[in-house]
Amino acid sequence: MSNSAAFNGSDQIMRTFDYELRRHGFAGNQCQIVLELAKKISSEKLRARLAAFQKEFPILNARVEKLWRPRWDIPWEAKREIAIRIHHSSAGGPMMIQQLLNEPLLVEQGELMRFDLIEHANDGTDVVFTWTHLLMDAVSAEHFLSAVSDEKIVLPKDNPQPAGAPEKWPERLDLMKKSVEQLDKFCEQQPRALKTRHADAPRELSYRVEKFSDEETKLIRNNSTKLCGPLGDAQFHAVIAALELHRLHEKVGAQTKSYILPMPVGLRPKGKIEPLFSNLVDMLMIQLLPEHLETPQKTVTAIKSQAMQALKDNSLGYGRKLAELFSFLPLALFIRVLKHGLKGEICSIFFGDTANVNPKLENFLGARVENFTHIPAVTPSPGLGVIFYYFRSELRATVVNAKTVLNETEAAEFATSLRQRLLNP
Amino acid sequence: MIQATDIETELLTFLRRDIFAPDVNLTPETDLVGAGFDSMSLVKTLLHVEQKFGKWIPEGEITGDALANTRALAATVARILNEQ
Repeated sequence: MSNSAAFNGSDQIMRTFDYELRRHGFAGNQCQIVLELAKKISSEKLRARLAAFQKEFPILNARVEKLWRPRWDIPWEAKREIAIRIHHSSAGGPMMIQQLLNEPLLVEQGELMRFDLIEHANDGTDVVFTWTHLLMDAVSAEHFLSAVSDEKIVLPKDNPQPAGAPEKWPERLDLMKKSVEQLDKFCEQQPRALKTRHADAPRELSYRVEKFSDEETKLIRNNSTKLCGPLGDAQFHAVIAALELHRLHEKVGAQTKSYILPMPVGLRPKGKIEPLFSNLVDMLMIQLLPEHLETPQKTVTAIKSQAMQALKDNSLGYGRKLAELFSFLPLALFIRVLKHGLKGEICSIFFGDTANVNPKLENFLGARVENFTHIPAVTPSPGLGVIFYYFRSELRATVVNAKTVLNETEAAEFATSLRQRLLNP
Repeated sequence: MIQATDIETELLTFLRRDIFAPDVNLTPETDLVGAGFDSMSLVKTLLHVEQKFGKWIPEGEITGDALANTRALAATVARILNEQ
């Protein structure tokens, strides 16, 4: 016996990125959250909790099926356990985590997530949670881990849910037309992402984390309020990422007339995380010209005016609607449609910001969480992304790069200058 | 002269319907930011104010204090609308 559930537009975009990564020899669109724990945890307790989740939420047993349109084929009973693997490491934990990031999940066989426990000689343990982005977004993943740890957190029964009622066909076609017009307008100032610059490098993602102390976080928040207003943290982070991207392009001599910055916008009503096993994020596509990047103030003005226009035009979500509309296409063709729109590009940099939505991960299955890291995936072009998040009110930024686009030195320099500019814009 | 209490009622209706989840118990004193109100929510709210009261309030006019709760936001909006 099985059931099925349709992909929403955001899920479909994530599926397309998964295809794009695999097509180029990367592991796939899979992300990680790493919890550094003060002591070991019981793998049996974790196994029991995950088994209970699989029973309660059959979506965790699903496989992707493509008939007319892609969908989750959801058996009522688990056919495979969620993998928990135990490793021992006296040193080299970060290297091992990076290896795990590049080890593909067998999504086609229903492996949607896995847990790796890296036990250290000092009794500390890293919990490396790897999941496919087809299943859920980063905010959901944080909440899922909280619920795995804390039985008192009640999750919604209905997963996944569609993101709002579908538009009628004339409205859909109108949205599609507007989407194409917007991309055409972007292409008048042709965006060009960084190209493959290290063709012989392994098809792997690499990452580094910039941690900010409590004082540094306060300073960055102060900078953010001065430049972007009282709720402008995410905009400020985007501004700094865009300015540093521009500097990187100039440094390596990459020519572009504009940059496309996709700013994620959460679609869930405020005050609610559910539905959990779904991507409910939309992309507000911002175009920045070099003159917008002359000063931080000009960048802020460009981002704010485009965000406002998108809300006035009700154009937020063009991409998602387009993805829903074209979801019956084979992925190879769909990625061509996506790239054709921007004349070969997807965007200039990936950008994420989970904000301070889930402060409950203080403990995980009885062990104090000493540190918390998000590691996103990026497609091989643009091959660069940054995600901002908070842990115990301290800002973190993970810079992730495809090794084919930036080598370790270049990526480290980007992360360092990002850090410096956040502190001193 | 637009009364702050009328704006408060209007804002509460809008926020409950278009911004927050139905089961969030939003009162005039609820901490907006603590409940998840963000920059996109603010722009949506200001667009609604413009549509309803015919005046655009620049985002820069909204300070952190004005975002303490719906009552404070309504008072700020009323002050700016009545300045014209």
